[in-house]
Amino acid sequence: MRGAHEEVPALFRTKPDFPWLILGHIVMAFFFTMLCIRFVPAGGVFATATLGILVGLVYAGPHLISFAVEPLTTKILGGWIVGAVIQFAIAGGIVGAIYKPSSPASSRH
Amino acid sequence: MKRFIIAFIAAYVFIFVWGWLLNGVVFKDIYAQTPNLWRSQSEMMSLFHWIIIGQALIVFAFVMIYASGFAGGGVIAGIQLGILLEIAAIGMRMGFYAVQPFPGKLIVYGSVGGLIEMIIVGAIVGAIYKPASARTQ
Repeated sequence: MRGAHEEVPALFRTKPDFPWLILGHIVMAFFFTMLCIRFVPAGGVFATATLGILVGLVYAGPHLISFAVEPLTTKILGGWIVGAVIQFAIAGGIVGAIYKPSSPASSRH
Repeated sequence: MKRFIIAFIAAYVFIFVWGWLLNGVVFKDIYAQTPNLWRSQSEMMSLFHWIIIGQALIVFAFVMIYASGFAGGGVIAGIQLGILLEIAAIGMRMGFYAVQPFPGKLIVYGSVGGLIEMIIVGAIVGAIYKPASARTQ
């Protein structure tokens, strides 16, 4: 995406603010993991990857809105949307593969 | 299916009005401080359909998640889902703040507004959508 971002330099910082970038990803990963555990208490790669795709779609919505209000290119928009869906699908798969409940979950609710 | 559609429409109407209130009225002055980051008013209006599609996608995916993993929990489960999704979204906003020169207060106010929005969306969806098994009891 670097090349696409460089097409509209006014919209981006010259150098990323890494502490915010890292903290933001930690917050995202922690609460996405909580969501997976709440959504699929029994774990499972397929179920959590499916949740990841849906979460990616929830966050694709704001990207579409950003495209309407910020002078972004369609290349950036497409990259952000596809990236969000793939990112959360893989993150969901990872959480589903690693997380195992301590006792068998009898109910999802 | 009927409940799904009603929940979708109710949540969509709320998100549309809330989005207009926040971004079109409350944050108007903050946006005006950084005009180089935004499209012109006429350009935004010509792309307004993307806002409608974006909001519809948020609500559709939200109701899908609720219906597949939280349904039956009612309003409380809807609110929990809204809070979890929005706090993760705040993380995403921090990421955008790190790479785009948005004013810090826009991120803070936007996050507070987003949290209130998703709590209310969760409550609306949780109150309206009921799984078929719950309705027959």
